[in-house]
Amino acid sequence: MRKVFALLLILAGPLSAEDLTGRVQLLAKGGKGPARGTDVRQTVVWFQPATPQAVRAGDTPFEMVTRRKEFEPRLLVIPKGSRVRFPNEDPILHNVFSVSAPNQFDLGLYKGRPGKEKRFDQPGVVRIYCNVHHDMVAYIVVLDTPYHTSPNADGEFSLRGLPKGPGKLVVWQEQADARTIDLDLPQKGPLKVDLEVVRPLIPSHLDKSGQSYFRSRGDRYDTP
Amino acid sequence: MAPGRLRRRGCILVFLSATICAPALHAQTAAEPDAEPQPQWRTRFGLEVKANYRDSQENRFPVPYQFEPVQLPVGQTRGFEETVDAGRHYEFSNVALLGTVARGDLFAVHVKVDLIDLHDRNPTSTGQKADVDEAWVRLGREVPPATLAPGSGVYVKLGKIAKFERQNDRHLESYGLVSTAFNRFEETGGEVGAHLGRHLYLKARAAAGNPVFLRDPNALAGDNGTPEDLRLPNPDPDLKSGVPILYNAHFANFNLDGKLETGVGIGWRFADEGGRNGLDLFAWGNRRKLADTVKIHGTFYGGDLDILSGPKADTVFAYTGDDKRETGGNVWLYLGGFSFFGQYVAQDLAGLKRDGMEGEASWRLDLPLIWGIGGRQLFTYVAPAVRWSRLDNHFRNPKETPTPSFSWDWDKVDSGVRLGLWEGLDLTVEYAANKFILASGAKRHNDELLATLRWEIGR
Repeated sequence: MRKVFALLLILAGPLSAEDLTGRVQLLAKGGKGPARGTDVRQTVVWFQPATPQAVRAGDTPFEMVTRRKEFEPRLLVIPKGSRVRFPNEDPILHNVFSVSAPNQFDLGLYKGRPGKEKRFDQPGVVRIYCNVHHDMVAYIVVLDTPYHTSPNADGEFSLRGLPKGPGKLVVWQEQADARTIDLDLPQKGPLKVDLEVVRPLIPSHLDKSGQSYFRSRGDRYDTP
Repeated sequence: MAPGRLRRRGCILVFLSATICAPALHAQTAAEPDAEPQPQWRTRFGLEVKANYRDSQENRFPVPYQFEPVQLPVGQTRGFEETVDAGRHYEFSNVALLGTVARGDLFAVHVKVDLIDLHDRNPTSTGQKADVDEAWVRLGREVPPATLAPGSGVYVKLGKIAKFERQNDRHLESYGLVSTAFNRFEETGGEVGAHLGRHLYLKARAAAGNPVFLRDPNALAGDNGTPEDLRLPNPDPDLKSGVPILYNAHFANFNLDGKLETGVGIGWRFADEGGRNGLDLFAWGNRRKLADTVKIHGTFYGGDLDILSGPKADTVFAYTGDDKRETGGNVWLYLGGFSFFGQYVAQDLAGLKRDGMEGEASWRLDLPLIWGIGGRQLFTYVAPAVRWSRLDNHFRNPKETPTPSFSWDWDKVDSGVRLGLWEGLDLTVEYAANKFILASGAKRHNDELLATLRWEIGR
C-alpha cells in the first residue's frame, strides 16, 4: 500500500507543478545593444504565487564576509526570517548598515569573527553598505517564496515545480530597474526578459547619517 | 487692501509654496528605495595637533622709506622687507580643541579653540596664541558645496564663522594669494542661507568686517609693529617683516571693533545623489565702510585706513573715501577623486583697486588595503595637489613707503602631496613658489618648503 502511495505521489508531482524557463538579457543604457561588463548571473528571478507559499528559514545563519574592503558574496538570496552573519576578515574596522526600509539596521564598527548578526523578517531588497568605505556595496534579497533562481552565464534560467495559477515573476538585477511580470501558469514557451542597465556598479548613496561620504571627511575645515 | 494687491500677494504665496513643495513631491516618485535615516544627536570632541618642518628661502628687498638710524639694526643704513624666519625649522604650529554637538542636519553647535596657532597668528610673535577660531550655532540645514540639497529650506548661523565664499575643502596646508588676501579668516557675525529647490541657493551675511592689515603669504605672517620694533636704539627682532600683502586680517576672539560688513551671494549646484560628482557655481559681493583705525592685538599698527596711511604724510596710499567692496565668483568641481576649486575676487579698497584669481586641482587616490594597525588602515590615500594664484594690484605705491610689496603684482604656485598615514593622521609636503614684480620691473622670488604632520584625534 505504501509503495502504491509513493508511486501516486511521483506521478502526481509533475502533473500538479509547472516549469518556467526563460532568458534574461542585460542591455546597455538606452537599450542600444547588450550591456558590457555587467554579470547576468548576479540577477535574481523569483516567482510569487498569488496564493502565498510558506518558506522556512534555516537554523544556521547565512554569511556575508568583509574581505579586502568588499562584501563576499556581493549578492545573497535568503528566505524571510533568516539570519545573516557578517564576519570581518580585514585587519581594519568596518561598519555594516542599511537604510532599506523596512529592514534597516546598523551593526556599528567591529572586526574579526564570528561577526555580528541580523535577522531579516521582512521581504525585500536590502542594500548593504559600510559607513567607513563608500565603495563597499552588497545586496540581500529576502524572499517569502521558495521559487527563485539565478540565470547562467548566457542568461538562461528555469524555475521548476511552480504551482499552477496566477502569480508574479520578478526579475531583479542591482544595476537595472526590477521587472515584474504577471503570469498565469502554465506558461507557453520560454520567457524573454530584457533589463536595461541604468545604474553604476557602485550606486550613489549617503552614509548612515544621511551625509555625503565625500565632502565631510578630511577637510581642513570640518562642516558638521 | 485693494483686490489687485491681494491677488498679487496670493500669487507670490502660491509661487513660494510651489517652489518649496515641488522638490518634496518629486522626491516621492524618483527617490531611491532607501529610507531617510532618522535624525540623531551626535557629539564629537577632538584634538588636532600640527607639527611642521619649514625651510624658508632667505630674501630681503630694500624699501623706499627713510628710517631713522636709531630705528635700524646696528650697521644697517636702510630698511628691508625680509623673509620672516629664514632657514630650516621644526615647529609645532597648532594644537586645536574641537567640539561639535548636532542633531541630524538641522541643528549644530561647533567650537574650535586654537592654542598655538602659529601660522594664523598676526603678528607672528606677539599675536594672541590662544583664540577661539570658530564658535557658532546653526539652525537649519547647510549643504556643502557641490552636493544636492534634499529640498527647499533655510538656515541661520551665528557666531564666529567662515566667510561664505571660503574654500573649506582644502588639500594643502598653505594658502593661495586670493584666499589669504580676502577670505582665509573667520569673522564675527551671522549668515542666512536659503535653498530654493535642490539646485538654487542664496546666502546673505552681516559681520564685523575683519580689518585690513598686512601679512606675508607664506606660513608665518611676519612681525610688524611689535614691541620688539620699539626697543630703541637699533632694534633687530628675530622675526622679520616678511614680504607682506594687504589682507582681511585674522581677528583673535570675538571682536566687534570693525565696521559692519554685509554680503549676498547666489549659487547653483549640480551633483549626483551621493555627492561623488558635482559642480557648484557661486557669485557674491561684500561691502563695508573702512574704519579710521582698528586695534589689533600684538601690534601698534592700526588696521583699515590706518595701514594705508603709513607712518607719515608722504607714505599715504592714494585712497579716497572709506568704501570697501569685494565681488567675486567661485567654482567647485568634483569628479570622483578629482576636485577643482577656483575663485576670482575684485576688490575696491577705498579707491585702490586690485583683483585676484586662484585655482586648485587635486586628485585623491585611495590606496589598497595592505596593512592595518588598531583596526585602522595604514597608508589610506595619496592626494597630489597644485594651486596657482595671482594678485594684480592696480594702484601705485606712494613715493615713500615701508611696505612697497603692497602694490607688487604677484604669482604663487603651491604644489604638494598629502599622504593619509592612518585614521586622523596625514603628512603634507608642499613647495610654495612666489614670484613678484617689483616697481622696477624686476622679478623676484621668496619660496618655501613646508612639511606638515597633522594628527586629529576624535574624528
